[in-house]
Amino acid sequence: MTKNVRKRRIKNLLALSLCSLCALFGLTILGWILFDVAVEGWKALSPKLFLKDPAPPGVMGGGGLKSAFLGQGLMTLTAAVMGIPIGILGGTFLAEYGRNLKVSAIVANLSDLAASTPSIVIGAFVHALLVAPFGGFSGWAGSVALAIIIIPLVLRTTDETLRLVPWNLREAALSLGASYHQVIWSIIYRSSLSGLLTGVVLALARAAGETAPLLFTSFNNNSFNWSLSSPTASLTVSIYQYAASPYESWIKLAWAAALVVTVLNLGLNLTARLFLKSRKY
Amino acid sequence: MIEVEDLCFYYNSKNALKNVTLSVKENCLTALIGPSGCGKTTLLRCFNRMHDLYPNNRYEGRIVFEGRDILDKSIDVITLRSSVGMVFQKPTPFPMSVFDNVAYGLRLKKINNHNVLKEKVERALTRAALWEEVKDRLKESALGLSGGQQQRLVIARTLAVEPKVILFDESTSALDPISTQKIEQLMVELKNDVTIVAVTHNLQQAARVSDYTALMYLGSLIEYDETANIFSKPKHKLTEEYVTGRFG
Repeated sequence: MTKNVRKRRIKNLLALSLCSLCALFGLTILGWILFDVAVEGWKALSPKLFLKDPAPPGVMGGGGLKSAFLGQGLMTLTAAVMGIPIGILGGTFLAEYGRNLKVSAIVANLSDLAASTPSIVIGAFVHALLVAPFGGFSGWAGSVALAIIIIPLVLRTTDETLRLVPWNLREAALSLGASYHQVIWSIIYRSSLSGLLTGVVLALARAAGETAPLLFTSFNNNSFNWSLSSPTASLTVSIYQYAASPYESWIKLAWAAALVVTVLNLGLNLTARLFLKSRKY
Repeated sequence: MIEVEDLCFYYNSKNALKNVTLSVKENCLTALIGPSGCGKTTLLRCFNRMHDLYPNNRYEGRIVFEGRDILDKSIDVITLRSSVGMVFQKPTPFPMSVFDNVAYGLRLKKINNHNVLKEKVERALTRAALWEEVKDRLKESALGLSGGQQQRLVIARTLAVEPKVILFDESTSALDPISTQKIEQLMVELKNDVTIVAVTHNLQQAARVSDYTALMYLGSLIEYDETANIFSKPKHKLTEEYVTGRFG
């Protein structure tokens, strides 16, 4: 009896230590990455990062990444404008109009599949669709690739969030003489606003941190212009190219850009958490 | 007021109402009683065509209200529902202010003038015996009210669009005794202007507040009479057994 208890305690201790070690290992790696990015990035951080366009190595210390900041912002915004409405409306269909349809379950599954597709595949797909036939990299192609990442994420979170709204709220609004679309606009979206915003912000954070879909689509550009028809720079692709370069000054810029991307992403994720906390239902 | 004629209702192939015929009297409170699954809520939800929301449901027979068969395809359910209101089992406040909750149905009817809204909202809240409690917190979220207040808010919201009939679907079963008492009182007062049909599991409640009572069992209407008769001299053996608590 006592022997059994001791054996159990030892097993318990072993399992606990193993789990803790694994967790510690994971956290250490993450902490190491963040620490390195913070230290190296902080050293390289300067106003010119945001104000100057990239320069050849050696010239003006390699310049800054203004074009990448603006390009990233413009492409993410365009992708959001394209992807968020489609995601929200699609998710609304699944949760509301198509709640009992078989096709909704199929779309939901396909959407989960799309959300976990390696992003390089999306990049290659958009390359074949919008880059090769039109004879060149463009910001539009990059935006479309990012939108394709955003759509399934927003669609599924919308679907799941709307399903959490108590069913009888819909019946209550309908019993007052509302039509179904009025119920969705005035009651369902309002009840699930925080959940919807969370989904949108997380999808944006995910899209803004992607490199692979942009590599084959928007590529890079050393100067910025407001037209998305030409190749367009992004922070992630710049980090990829600069970090792989042999030039000291470019590597420093890559660190700084990595820090900025990390902080922005962290900010978006924290915003999403705040939205989630304010949720009422 | 409402004439139900030979009504059958099917969920897919399940026959949930079998040839129900009854006549709901104007400005009276009619209670629908019966054991769980007997079809009383199904019948109630026919009166505002709430079943239309779900696929594969089918009505047969007629329900005549204001001279028209409301089961007819040509009936506009949105118009129907603004004259036949419904209060549910659990309070269903919308995630907006107390004022906006009550004004919701009015705004659907394109009443947007603020003074008109204000007047109608106050009147509805007064009729629902809630005005005194919420007059200083009209702009606060309705989700902050207590359960009993929320249910009276829902009643006020229903009253605001001035329906002729209000359907209560076990509307006090989720409330404490004091809130229940308030709602019961309210139902009795309201029937001066509106016709009420109420589903209830609570026999004492049916006996206390209703004028007419209908006992349903397995989708059929067993007995329908003045409440006093149902409880004191039922004609049907099933009714007697049910109201004396021997089954159900």
